[in-house]
Amino acid sequence: MIDWFHPSVFYIVGALLLPFLRGKIQKAYMLLIPLLGVAAVFAMSAGTYWSWDFLGTVLCFGAVDKLSIVFGWVFTIMSFIGMVYALHVNDRGQHVAALLYVGGSLGVTFAGDYLTLFVFWEVMAFASAYLVFARREPAAIRAGYRYILVHTFGGVCLLGGIILHYLSTRSMQVGPLDHDGSLAFYLILVGVIVNAAVPPLHAWLIDAYPEGTVTGSVFMSAFTTKTAVYVLVRVFPGTELLVYMGTIMALYGVVYAVLENDCRRLLAYHIISQVGYMVAGVGIGTEMSLNGSVSHAFAHILYKGLLFMGAGAVIEMTGRRKLTELGGLYRTMPITLVLYMIGGFAISAFPLFSGFVTKSMVIAGAAHDHRPLVALLLTMASAGTFLHTGLKLPYYMFFAKDSGIEAKEPPLNMLLAMGMAAFMCIGIGVLPGPLYNLLPFPVHFNAYTGDHVTSALGILLFTGLGFFMLLKKLDPEPTISIDTDWVYRKGSRVFMWIASKPIASSDTYVGNVYDTWFTRFMLFFSSFLARIIDVRAIDGLVNGVAQFFIGLAGVVRVTASGLVRSYAATMLIGGVVILGYYLFASLMSL
Amino acid sequence: MNALNLPILSLITYLPLVGIVAICLINNSRQDLIRWVAFGTSVVTFLVSLPLYFMFDCGTWEMQFVEDVPWISQFAVRYHMGIDGISLLLVLLTTFLSALAILSTWTAVTERVKGYMASLLFLETGMIGVFCALDFVLFYVFWEVMLIPMYFIIGIWGGPRRIYAAVKFFIYTMSGSVLMLVAILVLYFMNFEATGTYTFDILDYYNLGLPGNIQMWLFLAFFVAFAIKVPMFPFHTWLPDAHVEAPTAGSVILAGVLLKMGIYGFLRFCLPIFPQATIDFMPIVLALSVVGIIYGAMVSIAQDDIKKLVAYSSVSHLGYCMLGMFALNVDGLKGSLIQMINHGLSTGALFMIVGMLYERRHTRLISEYGGIMKVMPMFAALFLLVALSSMGVPGLNGFVGELLILIGAFKASLAFGMVATIGLILGAIYLLWMYRRVMYGQITKAENQNLKDMTGREYAYLLPIVLFIVWIGVYPKPFLKTMDASVDHLLETVNPRTSARMDGAKPTWLNDVVARVDFQQLAKGQGR
Repeated sequence: MIDWFHPSVFYIVGALLLPFLRGKIQKAYMLLIPLLGVAAVFAMSAGTYWSWDFLGTVLCFGAVDKLSIVFGWVFTIMSFIGMVYALHVNDRGQHVAALLYVGGSLGVTFAGDYLTLFVFWEVMAFASAYLVFARREPAAIRAGYRYILVHTFGGVCLLGGIILHYLSTRSMQVGPLDHDGSLAFYLILVGVIVNAAVPPLHAWLIDAYPEGTVTGSVFMSAFTTKTAVYVLVRVFPGTELLVYMGTIMALYGVVYAVLENDCRRLLAYHIISQVGYMVAGVGIGTEMSLNGSVSHAFAHILYKGLLFMGAGAVIEMTGRRKLTELGGLYRTMPITLVLYMIGGFAISAFPLFSGFVTKSMVIAGAAHDHRPLVALLLTMASAGTFLHTGLKLPYYMFFAKDSGIEAKEPPLNMLLAMGMAAFMCIGIGVLPGPLYNLLPFPVHFNAYTGDHVTSALGILLFTGLGFFMLLKKLDPEPTISIDTDWVYRKGSRVFMWIASKPIASSDTYVGNVYDTWFTRFMLFFSSFLARIIDVRAIDGLVNGVAQFFIGLAGVVRVTASGLVRSYAATMLIGGVVILGYYLFASLMSL
Repeated sequence: MNALNLPILSLITYLPLVGIVAICLINNSRQDLIRWVAFGTSVVTFLVSLPLYFMFDCGTWEMQFVEDVPWISQFAVRYHMGIDGISLLLVLLTTFLSALAILSTWTAVTERVKGYMASLLFLETGMIGVFCALDFVLFYVFWEVMLIPMYFIIGIWGGPRRIYAAVKFFIYTMSGSVLMLVAILVLYFMNFEATGTYTFDILDYYNLGLPGNIQMWLFLAFFVAFAIKVPMFPFHTWLPDAHVEAPTAGSVILAGVLLKMGIYGFLRFCLPIFPQATIDFMPIVLALSVVGIIYGAMVSIAQDDIKKLVAYSSVSHLGYCMLGMFALNVDGLKGSLIQMINHGLSTGALFMIVGMLYERRHTRLISEYGGIMKVMPMFAALFLLVALSSMGVPGLNGFVGELLILIGAFKASLAFGMVATIGLILGAIYLLWMYRRVMYGQITKAENQNLKDMTGREYAYLLPIVLFIVWIGVYPKPFLKTMDASVDHLLETVNPRTSARMDGAKPTWLNDVVARVDFQQLAKGQGR
């Protein structure tokens, strides 16, 4: 029996084979692959597998322990939900890209060495970029281009850090890094936090996720950032810097979300906020906070996926994405509303939902580590989350003024996918036990204490009250918020100006010099050699020799006159001369 | 020693003759059958030659698969055939390219096909015989045998100026080989004076140890014969005409195999039999090689006829082979040998490609093409691959040979090495420029719109060469390891003679030139 099989193989090979299938078989196939992935994760046990010695370093494709198994579980489950959601899409490229994307993500999860990790990291970047491009509108294409540029930047930083790390430690194994403040440390950190969308390097997420396809963004919301969180947990536990970054992130996302009008952009800012919790948990570094980060990632993938699916369903059915243009859908899309609200409650950490049992673990971890300010700020962010995702967004999407759109419920597969995610959100909230068993460290946390439930409910209900009292102030406005990507979006224009004006013109100058002095000269000289030296001189000599002999022959030919008398005379005279010579010679020698 | 107890070399040499007999029995009108029989014969010959590689003992420099029987005993002429590391790959190249050349000329020649195929097969016999012969007279016979079918191929089935090209080729090559015959006879008689026995066996002459001034003249005689064949500047002018006027198969064989005989002759005769003269003439030959490299490349740039361009590129590439050889160190020699094989493959493929263009448009002028990539994309891809191989791009076969040659050349002389490196740039110039003018851009001529991409037959004869181009480029070890023992032994025979100068009399004008070459570096030239 094979003791371990890398689930990425199913996804990547599956992606390569998918273009050859059509119709129902393709749909069945799309569902089969994630199920195979789930089965592979189910059958896993801890250990190191699939190691291969390559050019002097050991590549390890299967470093399996509790941490990677739990991420493997959530990634494969989410991939199944995402595939169900995407069943109705005819664009095969999107399915291939999504499968490759998940395969890359699982590859990073189980990577035991940095080289493998990097390769799969890049696979993820490019596969997900396709999901942005696949919408094929000008804004999407531009956003996708910026996405891939930022990810390439992150990938290069990561690679640089990996190489420096290898040079100093001679080891490629993935594991906690020493906090030695070396360049390798910071480069790898930068590379990972680009993917984790930590401000100020987060703008790609806000830029690209709303521009992706409806189904593609569901995948994207689940994988890139959480894979980065996995790497952070694996490599940077306890890094103090991450605590501050995470906390700031949590508030940053919430603050910007206030200003948002595009529904998926709002959700994207919330991703930043939620990932902030995970990053802060990693930074705190205690067992409870790491457990919190991991479990929060698990829950977040599911409920954020559900939120994106809900928003995506609305966009799919109405064709609109701006809150100013939506409203009054509660009559025509009730099921979507209910499922979306489940996601909204989950993200807000309502009791009996998944966020409650996971997010609070991070906050409790902060409190146990004697960081009251962190705990307070994270709780504030939690309130803000409910405000936007749980209240503002659904209110303006489904209620508020009637925009007069005639919409229907989305197709069955989308509802099923949302239903599955919602079921899991509630399921984890009600029965957190199985999830806690998967967590890397033993869990000494009980979410359902009286104090915790009442304080959570209190915050949330007062947030709700505040929302309805300040309703008018929270009306969406069609504005664009300026975020940190202003720097490189404007900066790139300056760069382009520099490249095109001064540099290009000096290049043209050099090119002209080269053209005159080298190219023209070369052509002239070679033409000279070819036509004068070769044809006239050398060949002339050769032909001249031939001509000489022909001429000589022409002259000598005269002697073959055809007259027998001259031949006879020649023979006679010749014979006499020869005989005479020999006679003379023999006479002389006597 | 002969591992197989059957005369496999003779078998390979004369199998094409069997094919000729078979062809002669076929009715003239059944052209396809004639072609198939000829192709089948050449394929069988190739297959029979394959065991030579697999049963070759790479550890020894001695001749293998030897056949040695008396032939004309009154003059001590023996039928002595054998191959070593130097000639093994050349024999395989010959059989391989002949089969593909016959396949490539399927539709090009439609009159007197019988005579054409018979000439090609006869040519193959001669070529294999040259590489295997170890007796001077036998070698000379095969050398001359090659000329006749080539003359016919160019002269009957060639282009507009074929008679001029054929006669030029014939007389040029023959005049060189006549000088070689005189030198062979001189050697024959000198050997008798030195040892008291008459022999034409080449291996006996390796130990002769002639005085320096005699060596010089004999070396010069051989040099002229082989320099014309290589071709070295300034004896190269027969090549462009012969190539341009010859049909595709003729060009492929001419460039692929016949040109290698000049270099093979140097390796088999000049270096071992006249080591002193080799050292003395080394600077001149190096200079001529470098001139050939640069000159051939520059003249290529100015060409409009693609076939002429490739012909002059052969002058340039074989200049590299001569440079590597006369650097007289391991790297240079091995580079020269492998580059011979590479050149045979790459330039053979280039001529096949030009033939494909010619069969479609009946013109070889670059100005008549343009934008062909749009209508023939697969052809464009393969053409680019072969052009890159010819340029010496890493990953393909040309790089292996050129790298070794340049390493050897730099070890021998920094100045020559640097000038030769410039030749690499020129090589890229003419090939890439030609490729751009022919394949890229807009389709300027209406006739180019409807060109068909490659047919199955064209794939069949181009892809095997491409396979080897990539194989030798990526993993040349199976090919390089056959040469190790022979090359080492050859260098041992050449280098010790530098100190043991039999006759101090050396032409004084050589002193100045020779003084600039560092003999220390020669003795140290052990690369692998």
